[in-house]
Amino acid sequence: MGSIVLVARLVLADLRRHKAQAAMLLLAVTVATATMALGLSVRDVSEALYEQTRAATAGPDVVALSGDTGPAVASALASLADAPEVVAHHGPYRVVYADLTARGLSSNVVVHGFADKPGAVNRPLVTSGRWVRSGGTVLERGFATALGVGAGDRVTIAGRSYPVVGIAVTAATSVYPGAAQIGPGGGPTDYSGLAWMTRSDARKLASSRDLPVTMALDLKLRDPAATETFSDAHRDSAVRINFRSWQFTAQQDMGILKHSQPILVVGSYLISFLAITGVAALAAGRAAEQTRRAGLLKAVGAAPGLIATVLLTEYLALALAGDALGLVVARLTAPVIAGPTASRIGDVAGPTAATVATATVLAVAVAVLSTLRPTLRALRTATVTALTATAHQPRHRPWITALSALLPTPLLLGLRLTARRPGRAVLQACSTATTVIAIVALLTIHAQTERGYGLDGSAALPNLRGEHDRHLMLAVAILLVALAVVNTITFTWTTAMEARANMAIARTLGATPGQITAGLSTAQLLPSLPGAIVGVPLGTGLLSLFAARNAVDAPSSWLLGAALATLLATAAFTALPARLAARRPVAQALSAEG
Amino acid sequence: MNVSGAAVRACGLVKTHGQGQSRVRAVDEVDLEVPQGQMLAVMGPSGCGKSTLLHLLGGLERPTGGEVWVAGRRIDTMSERALARLRRRSVGFIFQAFHLVEELSAAENVELPALLAGRSRRQARRRASLLLERVGLAERARHLPSQLSGGQRQRVAVARALVNDPLMVLADEPTGNLDTAATLDVLRIFEELRSAGQTFVIVTHDERVAATADRLVSMRDGMFVDDTWLAGSHARGLGGLIGLEG
Amino acid sequence: MQDAVLAMLAKEPSHGYDLRARLRQSLGPLGESMNPGQIYVTLARLEKAGLVICERAGGLPERPERKVYALTPAGQQRVTAWLAEVGWPKPDLAEFHLKLAAAASARLADPVELIAAQRRELLRRLREAQHAALAEPAGAGAGLLLEGVVLRLQADLRWLDACERVWSKVDDEVEGG
Repeated sequence: MGSIVLVARLVLADLRRHKAQAAMLLLAVTVATATMALGLSVRDVSEALYEQTRAATAGPDVVALSGDTGPAVASALASLADAPEVVAHHGPYRVVYADLTARGLSSNVVVHGFADKPGAVNRPLVTSGRWVRSGGTVLERGFATALGVGAGDRVTIAGRSYPVVGIAVTAATSVYPGAAQIGPGGGPTDYSGLAWMTRSDARKLASSRDLPVTMALDLKLRDPAATETFSDAHRDSAVRINFRSWQFTAQQDMGILKHSQPILVVGSYLISFLAITGVAALAAGRAAEQTRRAGLLKAVGAAPGLIATVLLTEYLALALAGDALGLVVARLTAPVIAGPTASRIGDVAGPTAATVATATVLAVAVAVLSTLRPTLRALRTATVTALTATAHQPRHRPWITALSALLPTPLLLGLRLTARRPGRAVLQACSTATTVIAIVALLTIHAQTERGYGLDGSAALPNLRGEHDRHLMLAVAILLVALAVVNTITFTWTTAMEARANMAIARTLGATPGQITAGLSTAQLLPSLPGAIVGVPLGTGLLSLFAARNAVDAPSSWLLGAALATLLATAAFTALPARLAARRPVAQALSAEG
Repeated sequence: MNVSGAAVRACGLVKTHGQGQSRVRAVDEVDLEVPQGQMLAVMGPSGCGKSTLLHLLGGLERPTGGEVWVAGRRIDTMSERALARLRRRSVGFIFQAFHLVEELSAAENVELPALLAGRSRRQARRRASLLLERVGLAERARHLPSQLSGGQRQRVAVARALVNDPLMVLADEPTGNLDTAATLDVLRIFEELRSAGQTFVIVTHDERVAATADRLVSMRDGMFVDDTWLAGSHARGLGGLIGLEG
Repeated sequence: MQDAVLAMLAKEPSHGYDLRARLRQSLGPLGESMNPGQIYVTLARLEKAGLVICERAGGLPERPERKVYALTPAGQQRVTAWLAEVGWPKPDLAEFHLKLAAAASARLADPVELIAAQRRELLRRLREAQHAALAEPAGAGAGLLLEGVVLRLQADLRWLDACERVWSKVDDEVEGG
């Protein structure tokens, strides 16, 4: 019991002393776990939204679609409706292929001809306005949102103006723009929105303009799970009928999220990696202090286990707090991330146990990996040496001298004075590489050309999936770059603090603040160079794992520019803390050391 | 070079630390002129402001009031950059705590100011090995400071201070961390340099170090209380020191 | 001085000239100021006291008519006694101390000024000794002697510092009160 109190007290004291560091770890873990939890739960959330929409709209278990019309089709559909497995049905109803123009935007649209009193199956849920009446149309919500149209607006369908009397959602079709489940005559489909009209309006629309029409029938089965069996049993060789099960539609909903999951999951790995490098640098900066404390605790008789416990408890506590926070963030943002269209309704349940477990493993891994080295070192160091420990034992690194001999004098001096920890140089290189990977991914995603959702692929109605991917990638890239900036500043500041004695000495010898700044910057910038170079192929390689077959690479000038810009930004961000450090009065720095 | 030949000159020099009630005058209206070739010692108890005075003379701190002239140029109004350049060429510092760069070998430490002053690497290396030989550390050139004794480290620092042939050497308790033998080694080097005409300002509380100088000023509470010329006048002769009469 | 000369003769009878050279060698730079005649005055005194006897020796061709000095048994005894002796010269600080007290009480002079003057004098001596010491190779006999001189002067200077601290306080009190 006593030792728990002791551990808690030491941990709290530590947290109070290192608020910024604690905040950084907390934030990094929050971002990493939130991203990962989102990545893992998009599928679940999408399914949950479909489920809820299906329940609210009496979604059909199977939709039977026929590319043709005529008596043969009518009788085939009628016999389906009478099948013993079917407990309820709606239709057959017309599906008219038309075009719709609203607010200058044109799109393909499929018009479902519905009764003005909805039946037992497929009762679209009106979210605003009212249900169809003669002369008026109801737009599917995802479609209406993309067009920016609301109830009361007017739209032109196949050249004729209709008032929009309501907005509704349905589970019978995929989310916008997947409303056309088969094309005219059973052919291929194009991106289409969905509109409803009364049956007579739909018939008039089709006949007046001689528009293609197909027939659809919504079915409710006795056993909703047995859609597969039903479809197999009722395939008719004479009339071609397509069956769309509810499971299939739910699966289709995922299409728009195809890239979201890899962006988020891989993004969360990269974020975690950056978090580890940053926190590891901070932890290493504190290593001497930790080592001294470990020595102190050992001197008063604490077992090595206690010291390890204190160190790990602190980081684990922060990581778990970040984990919890991250899961909350994921929960709050999941509906937006997993439902980029407005075609579905419903609330999102919390993340699944598996998601929580995976995110927690990630958080714990960040904490353990970033503190493993200082903890082990503290445990290994003997008590007496620990008590007298200085920052760290200087080591001669002739290779730095040799390397620096190739550089102009100020850089040479900077490197000789400040390049103390090759380990940190590696972390800086990794950090830069990760940033470049993120930027390469962002650029490549932006370089993709996709078909817009407008009429004939017009981009006036943007491709929502592409937009969604770009937004997600942008968010992930911003998080990554922000972390990388924090890392770079942390690295430079830690280096500056460790090298402050040397810098003060150099200034007594006549080094200008500018030379000191340049030196410190160089010490950080040099490892960034290989990082940036390696980052480009790593980024393109990583993307090729997820890219579609027809994906294009970003122009190499973009990639080169990205690498250069990253280096320039690194230079700027290292110059900032370096300049601050170089401005400290010399005499003060000297007496602090002496 | 200025007309008067003073290496460093200060007039009405004031430096205060702290603010309000806790304001302390570390250096209080000090006038000082050190001609070229003179070895001046500043003595006084710790906290009398002698280290601050040294920092002011070398441009490591800026005075609160008064002027400092080095080699005929006023330095208290110079930019940091100009001050750094001046230090490179005109001032060599030696500190009690040696202040060597721990990661660099003795030779690399000595090379540093030469490189800063824009000498070629070869020149710097040659000059460093020459000076290390002069302070008797030629064989230790590749050692790290941590592998050297205190006296050896201070000799490296002396070599480093001299590498750019500075107008003056400013030494702050140069033997404060050294035992008697090492002190003598360092003083012997100082004496050699003094006879060669090197200008020195040495801050010390060790009478023995002070006695090496040509001139001694005593400081109390930021002010000069005594200014004594030590050189010359062998009035009594060395024999008088041990009373050989009788 | 007398004892040292006697002890040098214990090794072998010597010329006054040799004795002087040996003394100067041991004393190093400190012996340079030694009066050339001083050694003969000392030898004459020792002879008179019956501690040495003087023998005329056939001089070398280039140094004719030299006196050679040797120890008498009494001289031998005196050398043995001298080596066993542990007496040590007492630092004579009382005089200066009394000077300060007298100057202060009779208001003849400012004791702090006296101390400063004394200090300057000692520092000059220290400088001389120091320079001589630095000129000697480290660890040599004469260097060791100089080291002793330097350390004594250093001790005296520190004592003067202590005097100064105390007397300037006394001054302050007088002025203040």
